Amino acid sequence: MEMRTVFNKELRQIQNDLLAMSSMTEKAISYSVKALKERDIELANRIIEDDKKINSARFEIEEKCIKLIATQQPMAGDLRTIIAVLNILSEVERIGDHAEGNAKIVLMIGNEPPLKPLIDIPRMAEKTIDMLHRSLGSFIERDKDTAMKIAAEDDEVDELYDQVFRELLTFMAEDPKTITRATRLIWVAHNLERSADRVTNICERIVYMVTGKMQEIGASKY
Amino acid sequence: MEINTELLGNRTNTGHNTKITAENINLFYGDFQALRDINMEIQECAITSLIGPSGCGKSSFLRIFNRMNDLIKNARITGNVKLDDIDIYARDIDVVELRKKVGMVFQKPNPFPMSIYENIAYGPKRHGIKNRAEIEEIVEKSLKQAALWDDIKDKLKQSALALSGGQQQRLCIARVLAVEPEVILMDEPCSALDPIATLKIEDLMRSLAKDYTIIIVTHNMQQAARVSDLAAFLMMEEDRAGVLVEYGNTSEIFTNPKDKRTEDYITGRFG
Repeated sequence: MEMRTVFNKELRQIQNDLLAMSSMTEKAISYSVKALKERDIELANRIIEDDKKINSARFEIEEKCIKLIATQQPMAGDLRTIIAVLNILSEVERIGDHAEGNAKIVLMIGNEPPLKPLIDIPRMAEKTIDMLHRSLGSFIERDKDTAMKIAAEDDEVDELYDQVFRELLTFMAEDPKTITRATRLIWVAHNLERSADRVTNICERIVYMVTGKMQEIGASKY
Repeated sequence: MEINTELLGNRTNTGHNTKITAENINLFYGDFQALRDINMEIQECAITSLIGPSGCGKSSFLRIFNRMNDLIKNARITGNVKLDDIDIYARDIDVVELRKKVGMVFQKPNPFPMSIYENIAYGPKRHGIKNRAEIEEIVEKSLKQAALWDDIKDKLKQSALALSGGQQQRLCIARVLAVEPEVILMDEPCSALDPIATLKIEDLMRSLAKDYTIIIVTHNMQQAARVSDLAAFLMMEEDRAGVLVEYGNTSEIFTNPKDKRTEDYITGRFG
């Protein structure tokens, strides 16, 4: 007979809620770059609106965690899971905020002509989404090795960011009239770079949950 | 049985010395083996909790430290128990003297049916103190140490049985303190008390741990987590003999136990 059925059920529910919240966030990142590419104001507005849902999901899950701690006195692996969820939650929520930030930049850009075709920024977004998705997978699987590997992949996003930055710098150096547009794109790239950093924080929490050891893995260049 | 040496290694960091060493302890009640091959070092001036499912031998193990199992017919023990450097099972050991050094508090408060004052004075008197002023001093000091003095200083002549459960248990602790022990054994000292009285006893234990070595058996895992510096998890093997599964710093045991069986027990998945 499984013991603590109510507790187990609630703990599973919390983890499922976190997955759902994370998948909303993945979509937000993806849509924010799509909106940028396609100058889609309507989509940008929807991302901003949907970020409220991510934020409220975060509070709901957090409250469920607090309730579980207060009423069930979780210990050992259960306790570490709940603590990991609490930390991962806030990272995911902040990633959502970065996506929302990018949507706001899309609104600022409005109908300005594109400075250049977007190549590396969508790559950054794709990589970040992939890292976030797989990190939550390794959370569910309790797979610390994969989590460590994902954290190391942050270097790729950093390199893309470097590339974007350098390229936009040349535009600005050549023609000061591009400064405003280029700066906005740098902001977008920066938000994506920060999002990938937050995925490495999530990976650290997964390692903690599995091993009980708190350690920094793969400190970001930025 | 596996002692987590990594965790025990932290002992030196906390500055504690070993107070009691139990080596290869096997305990039998007739043909039944209650404990098997237990090795454990108890640290001085720290609180060590013994946790584990009912019948795993926690209380039997606790009673080894002041030879209370001697009182049980058919009980037989092999192995060594040293208090500091003294072999407490040596032939020339005075058991009464040992129990003065290693006092015990039981599950149910068991004050003697006499006055509060006499409850505390009883031990020192039996151990030969006759001077009235000296005894009065011991009574006051012990009751103060047990955080009971302010509650009852005006009713020392009243019957101890009139006190509340929590007060009675603190009186029993004061009674142990009166004979100046070095080690205090507590066998589920709060299981008959309400939550407030329980927290008071726990506070008291923390303040006593500065000067005394305390070993507590408890079924209440939150209590072990709250009050103890080190925790030992015992469980039964298939023949129902108790073994020590894991022993280490309480914070580690409750956040990151090394043994799957400990994890299952403290997360409530068995037991």
